[in-house]
Amino acid sequence: MFAPLMVEVEDPVIEARDLVRIYRSSSGIIRKRYKETLAVDHISFSVGRGELFGILGPNGAGKTTTIKMLTTLLIPTSGKATILGYDVQHDAMEVRKRIGLVLGGERGLYYRVSGRQNLRYFADLYGVPLHDRERRIQEVLDMVGLSEKADVKVENYSRGMKQKLHIAKGIVHDPEVIFLDEPTIGLDPQASRDIRRMTQELIGMGKTILLTTHYMLEADELCGRIAVINGGKLLALDTPTGLKSLVKDTSVIEVEGFGITDLEMDRVRGLDGVRAVSSTTNGSKQVMRVQVCDAGEMLTPVTRSLECRVLDVHVKEPTLEDAYLWLVEGHA
Amino acid sequence: MPRLRALVGSFRQQAFHFLSAPSWLIPNIIAPFVITMVVLLMYQEVTGSVILYAVLGGGMMGMWGNTLYASGYSIQSERWWGTIEAVLVVPSSLIWIIAGRTIWNALIGVVNGLLVLVISVVAFGVPMDIADPLMFMASFLLTMFSLATLGLLFSSAFVLTRQAGVLTNGLEFPIYVASGCLFPIALLPAWAFPFSLSLAPSWGIDAIREAAGFAPESSVWVTVLGSAPQASFILPDLAMVVLLSMVYLALAIVLFRVVERQARLTGELGRV
Repeated sequence: MFAPLMVEVEDPVIEARDLVRIYRSSSGIIRKRYKETLAVDHISFSVGRGELFGILGPNGAGKTTTIKMLTTLLIPTSGKATILGYDVQHDAMEVRKRIGLVLGGERGLYYRVSGRQNLRYFADLYGVPLHDRERRIQEVLDMVGLSEKADVKVENYSRGMKQKLHIAKGIVHDPEVIFLDEPTIGLDPQASRDIRRMTQELIGMGKTILLTTHYMLEADELCGRIAVINGGKLLALDTPTGLKSLVKDTSVIEVEGFGITDLEMDRVRGLDGVRAVSSTTNGSKQVMRVQVCDAGEMLTPVTRSLECRVLDVHVKEPTLEDAYLWLVEGHA
Repeated sequence: MPRLRALVGSFRQQAFHFLSAPSWLIPNIIAPFVITMVVLLMYQEVTGSVILYAVLGGGMMGMWGNTLYASGYSIQSERWWGTIEAVLVVPSSLIWIIAGRTIWNALIGVVNGLLVLVISVVAFGVPMDIADPLMFMASFLLTMFSLATLGLLFSSAFVLTRQAGVLTNGLEFPIYVASGCLFPIALLPAWAFPFSLSLAPSWGIDAIREAAGFAPESSVWVTVLGSAPQASFILPDLAMVVLLSMVYLALAIVLFRVVERQARLTGELGRV
């Protein structure tokens, strides 16, 4: 089975062509040793106007490096990228006028001043007309639900409020294209839902959005198309439904238990008929998902391979996460 | 206009940030007090205008130290806060953003320098007989401008390095000595003259001291002419301050272009 690559779209707003990024680092003082790391390896894709495009991949896959090249923060080693027809390398200022970058995480804000002062500063840097500045700041504060806390110092904000301010900061100049780099990382479910609602509102306003995330449900719920990357390579690019169809012949055995060890997971992984294995923690319990060709046939061998305390076993339909795991485990 | 917006916006942001933390009292109130005390202790054996000479040098030390540290740490702070990437993705050149911050830092440096003078008069009773108050203030303001441009020039290096602390520590004392803050440049070895004369603050403090009424024997011009100048040297001093500041500004514009591109090439911009 081959992973689909829906690279081309009509009316592309973001275009990446054979993008490559190599990081060079050195070690040693007298005898310097140089090392090259290929972070992005000939990635190509296009994003259409008004599309919400997702990039999925494990840590170190090359998601943030790709976003940094598209937002002019990094110069590509080779290849070409354009935003609304402007080259990210040669027309960087034109690109920057038209894009907004929203980074996830605690950092990236001026903590000792208020949210409004942060927005005023970025409105000045983006050249929002002075007569329109305060109105626009209030508009984005209302949109992200921070109006009541706008004049409080950012150091007193919760994690979710900081992320909302990150979004407000990225859209204060009303950009046509928005890059969201893991905007819900570390947020509680309520705050994550708020961010997803805002993302959908932005799409409703006709913005084009490129989103990177770790969360499969988020990607499945929001994105029109998803690119899966790993090791700097584009593994697949399709709609969530298209990606899920990669594992349509697969069933998932979900085992809930205590103390599932790596050794047990490797034992399950080695069984004939097992396609991929992953594990997550849910409170004190562990949940192991085993992708198999035939659940009825594999149920007994899988449970027999486990010596831990098993609480429950279910057979489920495959999700986007299963397609993702199947891809990043080298099946593309 | 967009450049001016970036400059004014970052000036205001730096001011808010500076005033929001009470720690600003240490470099700007306590440090000038300590500097004044040290200067007066060093020169306790002498009397009269020499004390004022030294106090003016102490004020200059405060101005330079403040500008240098604030310029270095304003970029380093951007790294710590993780805001440097957000600032580099806006459609304004980094130099205008840093210039706004540097102007605020230099302004605070001047306040720091003036505080040294006020503390000297009020707390230590140093006689403050300024011969030409108008030229004295003009010299102070132009020196502030030259400090801002020098701070901007150094800031370009701080974009590339994560070792702002090492750089600022290394640059602080050589410039105190080379610019004649505490004793006349003519006392330095001849090989140090080119470096001293290439520093705008050397000329700035010279103008400040003449405006305060000092004899030309201690002037920077002694190192150029070989003897004390016969006429007033305030205007030539100020011309040198402006000329060198323009050179710093031109160099900073070129260097910022280079380092900005270099930072985007290496991808090490956001590393703390």
